[in-house]
Amino acid sequence: MFKLSDEGVAYVKKELERYETKRSAIIPCLYRVQSENGGWVSPESINYLSELMDLPVAWINEVFHFYTMFNKEPVGKLHVQVCNNITCCMLGARELTEHISKTFEMGIDELSKDGKITLSKVECLGSCDTAPMMQINDSYHENLTPESAVKIIKDMVHGN
Amino acid sequence: MPKLTLNGKEIEVPAGSTIIEAYKQLDEPIAHYCWHPGLSIAGVCRLCVVEIEGNPRLQIACNTQIQEGMVVNNNSEKVKTAVKWGLDFHLINHPLDCPICDQAGECELQNQYMEFGKYDPEMAEPKVKKRKVVDLGERVVLDTERCILCSRCVRFTNEVSKTNELGIFNRGDRSEVGTFEDKPLNNKYSVNTVDICPVGALTSKDFRFKQRVWYLKNKPSICTGCSTGCNVNVYYNEEGVFRVKPHYNKEVNGYWMCDEGRDIYKHINRKSRMLRGRYKQNGVWCTTQALEVAKKAGQKLSSFKGEEIAVLVTGQYTNEELNSLVDYSVNKLGSKSVFHWKNNENNWQDFDGHLIRGDKNPNTKGLQGVLQKYAVGGEWKELENQLSKFKAVVVAGPENQSVYFDIKEKIESLKSLECVVWFTAGENSNFEKLSDNSYLIPQKTSVEKNGHFTNHQGLTQKVEEVTTILPEALNLEETVSLMLGNSLDLSIRDKQEMGVLKTNYFSQERGSL
Ligand code: SF4
Ligand code: SF4
Ligand code: FES
Ligand code: FES
Repeated sequence: MFKLSDEGVAYVKKELERYETKRSAIIPCLYRVQSENGGWVSPESINYLSELMDLPVAWINEVFHFYTMFNKEPVGKLHVQVCNNITCCMLGARELTEHISKTFEMGIDELSKDGKITLSKVECLGSCDTAPMMQINDSYHENLTPESAVKIIKDMVHGN
Repeated sequence: MPKLTLNGKEIEVPAGSTIIEAYKQLDEPIAHYCWHPGLSIAGVCRLCVVEIEGNPRLQIACNTQIQEGMVVNNNSEKVKTAVKWGLDFHLINHPLDCPICDQAGECELQNQYMEFGKYDPEMAEPKVKKRKVVDLGERVVLDTERCILCSRCVRFTNEVSKTNELGIFNRGDRSEVGTFEDKPLNNKYSVNTVDICPVGALTSKDFRFKQRVWYLKNKPSICTGCSTGCNVNVYYNEEGVFRVKPHYNKEVNGYWMCDEGRDIYKHINRKSRMLRGRYKQNGVWCTTQALEVAKKAGQKLSSFKGEEIAVLVTGQYTNEELNSLVDYSVNKLGSKSVFHWKNNENNWQDFDGHLIRGDKNPNTKGLQGVLQKYAVGGEWKELENQLSKFKAVVVAGPENQSVYFDIKEKIESLKSLECVVWFTAGENSNFEKLSDNSYLIPQKTSVEKNGHFTNHQGLTQKVEEVTTILPEALNLEETVSLMLGNSLDLSIRDKQEMGVLKTNYFSQERGSL
């Protein structure tokens, strides 16, 4: 059974106080659940959150499904999200994605063989001036070339 | 009251009304999906657009309040074009599987297309496929690709049933209505979502594929499911009644009714009815016409003294019927021993805060009124305690046997009497247990007779004959009259064939398809 840590519970309680309606607190609380649940939000954890926040489970599910930043399936330790929107694509994001996919032998939204990496295509991440770019977990990596992107990922896999 | 001009007509509306309400008041056509008078305003379908003089852009009528002197129209070319292509947008990902869709014939997509659309679709893109035949529990089936995302059903579960099961998940053209993890939609008012869904996305499990709606007629009636007395429309044809839907009444049920109330048609149809009258003599049951049994029962009863006869009544008959029965008992049989049989005494007072009541009778108040008028009336317990005092009992039994859990017990207790006269619409295998001199007289159901029911709040509502299911069945007034030895002109009804299930004559009139 999924449960938030004590700090996590305290965080949810605080967020609930923060807004005029409880519904507004759903996004930060879902983020918290995602980070404590190893990078994705399970149906079970949505049920848990619904009870904790005392909100209908359908309302939480609506928010959860609307935003792509909440992962519906388990992801690897490194979640590589390559921007595939206009600016990045004009500067080679498709080829970049293809290259990463080939190098690590994994498809889109699939786990790599060693189970450590998930590769996703995402929409504009608001960093067009430094396109092409990708986000790995919480950090941005910008002005990429296929080589630099692969190097960054490899370094991170090896723990730097 | 502000005045405004709609499509060139002057109209006065209550302050605070919206433009769409003014259109409804005028009975002018206006396209719309998401607006429903019983729900909050969502403004998501964008079909109700109107042109307001002095306003460069079209605005939606459902979310615009009326201002004094507004000049509004929805018949300019500009509005018509907007609505037309708005409809095309709604149909982009709609599967258009009308031939296998249960909503066909009462579908707002079809209706509004015929009224406001009639374009040649210009969408060449492949449609987004979504899930079909999603089982949402006991009563509702969901087809997510037919959904036009009007959010009526979602607002219903948020605002009316207050159960919050439904939501719209995902986004853009992938948006899908549903419950979390397809959890069942088992609230007590769930089928209202089927009624308000403008398309065939939510359909009723009970009614699905039973009958095309164009083979059904409907007439207003009153639900007999409990003492709330919701106003309903009964949908029927020659084969019987197929469904019951709510009918707006501000005082009683608003736009809604409960799920259980929708099942009342089941005990109305032939399948659960007592088709012929019967009486038991020398250990054998003789089957004959209802009116013959009534006459025989009347003769038998007249051989008892007034104090030997008890009468047991349920609140399942009209005021007129109850009056004639109690009058017969007091003034003709000379018995003041009239008793009130209630369904389940323990939850008699229950109320769920919305519509559903524990008193599962449409006319308890009416019955109480009649008993008071004749200064009679006691509880079942009292009758049970002095049962040995009586030799005969007349029972006006429940039409809806499914809510009278003690019917078997009652039969067991009463069978020791010398004579039992039982009025019943429904068949029940326990009747076999009754002893000699028992008379079973088939009764009409609420959709087969005229009269009045008085609901829990004391409101007296009219029921009118919707259709005839069993031509042979009698109402209580007719039964009493026959028991008194009067003759009754039933010749018209007698002519109709009995005991044979009619085939759907509408299907023979279909012609070429
Ligand atoms: S299922 Fe029906 S009522 Fe619900 S949002 Fe879709 S179209 Fe509207
Ligand atoms: S609340 Fe009572 S009267 Fe209304 S529909 Fe339900 S059973 Fe019928
Ligand atoms: S298009 Fe890639 S960051 Fe905006
Ligand atoms: S009815 Fe007005 S926007 Fe849908």
